[in-house]
Amino acid sequence: MHIPDGILSPAVCAVTGAVSVFSLGLCLKQLKTTLSDRTIPLTGMTAALIFAGQMVNFPLMVAPVSGHLMGGVLAAVLVGPWAGCLAVTLVLLVQCALFADGGLLALGANVLHMAVIGSLGGYAVYATIRRLLGGTQAATVAATAIASWLTVMAASALFCLEFQLSWPAQQLPGSDFSFASLFTMMVTVHSVIGLGEAIISGAVVGFVLRHRPDLIATPAGATASETSEEAASPRRLFPAAGRAVTAGIIASLAVAAFLAPFASGHPDGLESVAEQTAIESLAAEPQVLVLADYEIPAPVASWEAAPLWQRLSVSLAGLLGTGTVLLTAWLLGRGMKPRTEPAGLTHGR
Amino acid sequence: MAVEPAGTTASRSAGPTVLHRLPATFKILLTGAIILAAVLTPPARWPVHGLLACLVFTLHTFSAVPLGTLLRRLLVFLPAAALMALAVPASQGFRSGWDVMQAILLRSTVSLLAVFWLAQVLPFRELLQWLSRHKVPPAVVGTLAFMYRYLFVLWDELERMRSARKARTFGSGGMLFRWQTGIRLIGMLLIRSLDRAARVHRAMLARGWDGQVRFSDD
Repeated sequence: MHIPDGILSPAVCAVTGAVSVFSLGLCLKQLKTTLSDRTIPLTGMTAALIFAGQMVNFPLMVAPVSGHLMGGVLAAVLVGPWAGCLAVTLVLLVQCALFADGGLLALGANVLHMAVIGSLGGYAVYATIRRLLGGTQAATVAATAIASWLTVMAASALFCLEFQLSWPAQQLPGSDFSFASLFTMMVTVHSVIGLGEAIISGAVVGFVLRHRPDLIATPAGATASETSEEAASPRRLFPAAGRAVTAGIIASLAVAAFLAPFASGHPDGLESVAEQTAIESLAAEPQVLVLADYEIPAPVASWEAAPLWQRLSVSLAGLLGTGTVLLTAWLLGRGMKPRTEPAGLTHGR
Repeated sequence: MAVEPAGTTASRSAGPTVLHRLPATFKILLTGAIILAAVLTPPARWPVHGLLACLVFTLHTFSAVPLGTLLRRLLVFLPAAALMALAVPASQGFRSGWDVMQAILLRSTVSLLAVFWLAQVLPFRELLQWLSRHKVPPAVVGTLAFMYRYLFVLWDELERMRSARKARTFGSGGMLFRWQTGIRLIGMLLIRSLDRAARVHRAMLARGWDGQVRFSDD
């Protein structure tokens, strides 16, 4: 996920950097009033925690490749969006300055993707879904998982846009380069990566809720007493929960359906311009190219031939991913059935 | 991320060279300039990338960066960049996009080398001082210093928990099991470190902490 230098153009880096600096200023302003003198120990420790948590590898199907946590949503759920955003920013800064992980120029883009979208955006999604689901522990876990997946998808869609802006058609002389199929691949790959992030974040929040529920910050507007009151009266909760679940599913499906074609649909307009500029070079050798395109029955070639099918497949992938994430969230939430006694794991030092 | 914390601090404190003693602003600007040049050079002018790489390699040599360290770092991060670059032609069915991949590879290799060099010659302490001199809010610099202080503590803690896990599970187990233990590992680390943050905050309050960061000039 860390973008190295050399992929995005300096102009894109400058714009994303400016957005990141602005968001960071906003965070600092908010932190002055919300956390005040707890800011430094709490945010600093969270940053160290996210960094250390990223060292825990999770094996994937393919043996040598392993995934790890990114942690934007997790940090926001733990210490709130402002501190979470600052913490993830510092993680990225240290990873760049100490280990050259992630580029120096691209630092702004990385901060925008993982800290601003991850923590600020992720927290907005998390708080909304959590409230819609009734604010129970299961709702917290499910909301964390959904928000994690959506932030990864949003970050990958934004990266695609930045990539498109970084590589104008003039830099790709005479190539039949299709941004749309690149974006299809990026979004598809990231829907899987996001699933990993959703499972890890949701399960970690579930673990903490089981053992130390006091460590999870409650969103503004839903105080601890309010949530326990809601949990105490199940009759009032259930019909509301039913409606809320439906609303949540519709909302996230809508977001996914919006995000997925956005990733491939928006550049289409730009791409048509590129096609028009490159049309002369195409006209020079007409028959061969067209035939070459149709002779290959590979799925990629057919995507390029039929943009409608391609966009449809991206939307399908988005919907399928959303379905999987919702199922995961539901399963994680079911695992949150209140247990009477934690199984001896809470003994701190 | 597979970088072990041990070697980094030790190697940095050992034997500073002339390049280590350059002003921090110069080191940061030089790195930024090299990266900017690498990113702005079109792929057709690849000899420029070669020259830039030679320049960075010279900087590495004069900063006495061990070749093994450099190669190990490259081995960790270059495949990631290469994979990202390879994604471009892969998405085109390997029929086009090779020039984009070539450009990304050239640019990111030079940039990686440059940032490695900066990481080697700019100690974290110096970076903190540089940041606070350049109007970065004290809250950010203070948090950064705090994070750096406890990062290695948490790494050690994680390492202890990992070896405990290995000892109890004979280092084996299926994929599901390893996901479960990994999640518990992060969860336990989280509970312990947030408790630690609360303890440290109380200790800071006991020593007169009022939320204002003050730097001592050393």
